[in-house]
Amino acid sequence: MEYITEIFVWPAWLSWIFPMLGAVLTPLLAKVHSKVRDYGAIVFSFLAMVMTLSLIPYLWEGKYFHNQVLWVVMEGAPVLSRLMAGVIVDPLSIIMANVVAVIGFLIMVYSLGYMHGDPSLTRYWFFMNFFIGSMLLLVMSDNIIQLLFGWEGVGLCSYALIGFWHRDSKEDWLKCWVGEGPEAYPPSHCGMKAFITTRMGDLFFLLGAFLLLAFAGTLNFVELQGGAILRVPLAVLIPAAILLFGGPIGKSAQLPLMEWLPDAMAGPTTVSALIHAATMVNAGVYLVGRVFPMFYTAVWHGGAANELITFFYVIAWVGAITAFVAGSQGMVSSEIKKVLAYSTVSQLGYMMLALGIAGSTAEFLVGYVGGVFHLMSHAMFKAALFLTAGAVIHTCESRFMTHMGGIRRYMPITFWCMSLAAFSLMGVPLLFSGFWSKDMVLEAPLLAGQYWIFALGAVTVAVTSFYSVRMLGLTFFGPKSSHLAEQERHGHHVHEAPKVMWIPFLALVIGTLAFGVMGPFVKGWFEGVFHEYLGELLPAGGGHSEAVAVHGFPHELAVWVTAGISVAMLLAGALPAYFLYVKRKLEPSVFLQRYGLLAVLRQFVLNRWYINRFFYKAIVYPMIGGCMWALKKIELGVIDRFNYVLANATAGFSNSFRKTHSGILTHNVEGIILGFVVFFLLLALTVMG
Amino acid sequence: MVPIAFSAIALAVGGRLGKYAGWLAFAVLTYTTGLLGFILFQLRSWGGSLVASYPWGRYLGDFTLVADGLSTPFALVISMLAALIAIYSISYMEHERNLHAYFALYLLYSAGMMGTVLVTNLAAFFVFFELMLIPSWALIGVWGTGAREKIAFKYFMFTEAGALFLLAGIVTARFLAGTFDVFAIAAGMERVSVGTAVAIVSAILLGLFVKMAIFPLHTWLPDAHAEAPTPISALLSPAMVGIGGYAAIRIVYTAFPMVLGHGQFVMALVVLAVVTMIYGGYMALAQDDIKRLLAYSSISQMGYLLFGVVSLSALGLTGAVLIYVSHGLGKAILFMVAGIFIHTLHTRSIRELGGLAGRMPYSATATLLGFLTLMGAPPLIGFWGEFFTFGGSIYTGTGFGGVTAPNLTRIWVTGIAVVFSAMTAGYGLWTVRRVFFGGTPEPLKEAKEGPRLMTAPILVLAVVAVVLGIYPTVLTNVAAPFLSQLLSGLTPAMGS
Repeated sequence: MEYITEIFVWPAWLSWIFPMLGAVLTPLLAKVHSKVRDYGAIVFSFLAMVMTLSLIPYLWEGKYFHNQVLWVVMEGAPVLSRLMAGVIVDPLSIIMANVVAVIGFLIMVYSLGYMHGDPSLTRYWFFMNFFIGSMLLLVMSDNIIQLLFGWEGVGLCSYALIGFWHRDSKEDWLKCWVGEGPEAYPPSHCGMKAFITTRMGDLFFLLGAFLLLAFAGTLNFVELQGGAILRVPLAVLIPAAILLFGGPIGKSAQLPLMEWLPDAMAGPTTVSALIHAATMVNAGVYLVGRVFPMFYTAVWHGGAANELITFFYVIAWVGAITAFVAGSQGMVSSEIKKVLAYSTVSQLGYMMLALGIAGSTAEFLVGYVGGVFHLMSHAMFKAALFLTAGAVIHTCESRFMTHMGGIRRYMPITFWCMSLAAFSLMGVPLLFSGFWSKDMVLEAPLLAGQYWIFALGAVTVAVTSFYSVRMLGLTFFGPKSSHLAEQERHGHHVHEAPKVMWIPFLALVIGTLAFGVMGPFVKGWFEGVFHEYLGELLPAGGGHSEAVAVHGFPHELAVWVTAGISVAMLLAGALPAYFLYVKRKLEPSVFLQRYGLLAVLRQFVLNRWYINRFFYKAIVYPMIGGCMWALKKIELGVIDRFNYVLANATAGFSNSFRKTHSGILTHNVEGIILGFVVFFLLLALTVMG
Repeated sequence: MVPIAFSAIALAVGGRLGKYAGWLAFAVLTYTTGLLGFILFQLRSWGGSLVASYPWGRYLGDFTLVADGLSTPFALVISMLAALIAIYSISYMEHERNLHAYFALYLLYSAGMMGTVLVTNLAAFFVFFELMLIPSWALIGVWGTGAREKIAFKYFMFTEAGALFLLAGIVTARFLAGTFDVFAIAAGMERVSVGTAVAIVSAILLGLFVKMAIFPLHTWLPDAHAEAPTPISALLSPAMVGIGGYAAIRIVYTAFPMVLGHGQFVMALVVLAVVTMIYGGYMALAQDDIKRLLAYSSISQMGYLLFGVVSLSALGLTGAVLIYVSHGLGKAILFMVAGIFIHTLHTRSIRELGGLAGRMPYSATATLLGFLTLMGAPPLIGFWGEFFTFGGSIYTGTGFGGVTAPNLTRIWVTGIAVVFSAMTAGYGLWTVRRVFFGGTPEPLKEAKEGPRLMTAPILVLAVVAVVLGIYPTVLTNVAAPFLSQLLSGLTPAMGS
């Protein structure tokens, strides 16, 4: 890290200032003309992209820096007396920022077509640009407080954009609600759910930050990593780490806080693509990656190895279990976007898994780079998948896959782009970026000797392939659905997406392929970049802790074993789905009838493993019911009532004397005499006693 | 500083004349806001504080007004809110009678609040404390809604009972310490035992807690807030109740620092704060009347404020000041929006509202920002308030502040408080959803945005909340140095 005060630091600041500015200007530009507003918004996101792209050369030069300005001054305060705002430019932030800005820009362009004619576009552009700005702010931040500004900013945008169609009208049920039956929710409900759920995680994150702040005296990543973290005693570090992890659990929709993300699909598809697939949900993974070196330092230099490793195992297991649970729900979902949403959760689980494993071994590079690489490749193909799904939904006017079917011939570009992106998601070998990154993720537990985690990850590959092929089959193959036939009778034919929509997703698919073809090189290059950057973290002398003793597979072998198993799993998942949904040789319902257990399982998964219901039944409803009860029984029944009882008692007490205040002179005189008598009697008693 | 208080009172009488009393009130209050703003920006260069002292009487001591890092932010917020709400009143109260009296009382009330904050003589403090009670009682009783006389009476009795405890505490302190001056009491109290001091502080705090509506002394507040004329609700809740928190910092930290060394007493206050914040939020969830919901939300926010007050750290005290500011801005916005519903839609039942976002975009945006600052989300000022408050408490809990020994209980309690602060997001966003999103009920199809005179102050406040949130140094750099000095004075007293 060196300080650079020259012009080179500007892009890092401007990358998030531009889109923020764009957001603020949107309402003003809207006053000029709607076209000015639309293109203006895109120009600002374009500028952000230019800024982040200009940071890429630093990756080659290996020149990273950190630049600060004074932000909040509290002279005299024991901590935070001079809080600096800053940007940090390192491989992690450069890669992440480019993912955000490039995909952000492409999706902004796509929005021109997808959102065309919406009456509330000013609001849309405002929040989209504000989102890109907040996200880049989050990525570039050099301290936790500034990061929280971005963090909550993207949360706010997510809330506002999920509930973008806030009228919740039943007529648009097919377009903008989410779920079916008792678990169907309107957009504004989903937005609120997303915000509150992630907020829950954030509060734990805050607590962790407070603990760090109190002990380490700073929340600056560079300072923490540079040794401040070692000031935190072990007994605090572990709870702090676990609490900090609450933020990523909420934001990246890991168990147990994953239920908001599938329901976030109520927003416009562009929003799902940008926020709930490619960027915001990755913020959690990014944060783990960001604090990773810090805790790694604590593990290997602070001698906290065995205790803190538990924390990293927790991350890995949470990731692995989430990957499987979410993937399984993708297998049965009837909505195209929800399949993708579950897939996103599942893939995020993979990234967490990789980062968790990375922390638990001295050989952290495979896991760490695997996580970051998968983040990048997932962002690309998942954004492409969502954008193609958006094109399909746009033309079919329904979010249900049962309302699609047989549209391959009408929209070939969309079909091919979606297929290729789905192949990348499944990890089809060699040509696709998803293959390389996923293999790295799976390689990590094998190397670390975590075979159970590896097994769970491998099974999830089969699950992934199954739902991907199923989605393609249901959407594009087989006969046309009755919904489409009905539409055609109204003169509405299925058609290919306009150019402004397909160019962005085509670009993303090409990107995925490019990274796929160059896969081994990219992988090697990433490893090199991060090795150079994080190399100083490697324990001196190859590690001195018992934890290193855990040895898994040797490296060479692990690569081949992983590739072999993942291809086998891919086929195991894809082939049944192919026959069931693409060729449609077999009828799924026949299987369900024949094997009762399968039907039960399906029902269980369809009910979202009862996790969602559990939260409503155990927390939301009791909370609301309970407060009504408490209002009646405690607030009005006891506390407030007590006031009136007191008041009435006082009134009654004084009323009982009222009769004596008759105002009749003789009574008064009698009273005076009586008083005197009592007084003298008392006096006599005291004197004598 | 004195002219502010006196000109306000004098003009209140003059306000009877013109029809434009509202604008007059606005002009006066804008002037005071400007003055206080100027003081805020100059405080650092003036080196600490601005003092204006006048002899008052041999027994009472000097009548002293002090604008320092603690009182200035409070006074500024009060003055700004009062000025903006004066404009709002013009439109809201247009159909009411006796407006000149309304604005005269309004000014008196504002002057009372500012005086309470600025004055350091406890006897004078009590006078101002009453001065803000009486006009507000009259304002609720005359221009309120519902069972207004009864509710105004309830409000008056509660606060008055509290005020008597306050008076008892102040007078006892006068006898023991020989002075009413808040800065001199500490020196005079040195020979007094901690137990006695705790008793005095308990009496004083009891009075202040009634004002702050700390659980279980809060029941006057929902009634008063709900039935007061909305501009007055918008002053009562954001500006007035928080003054209790100010006074708690001012009186307890400055005059009775030895009390803060009493671990159990402080922990009891911490628990009380947490109970209040949770209970208020929980009750807010249950409300259908939007003004009542906001009232309970105020109770909850007062819990936060008290939590900051008893955090025993400069960070937490600064947090308390910022929470006051945040709550002042946010809650004023929310009450004024509720006022717009009452004024233009003639309803305040959440059940009867819905889908208004498209029809009232400014109100919707402002409401969302208002709730966001209450729930402590950046980039609003509330974020800093909560961050510093909770962070400060944890800091104290770890024992680094040097004020107390490491205290695990405090850390746990803070943890519970932080987790339960999700409830603010819960009732806030739920309200936004019920009022602004979803379908529009038939009677509201024609709903329109409120008049300019009502939306403009709201938007100004929203902008202020955002600007302060992005750059809080304006406040922190004035408040923090003063408050950390206050604490550094505290630390040696701990030793005894």
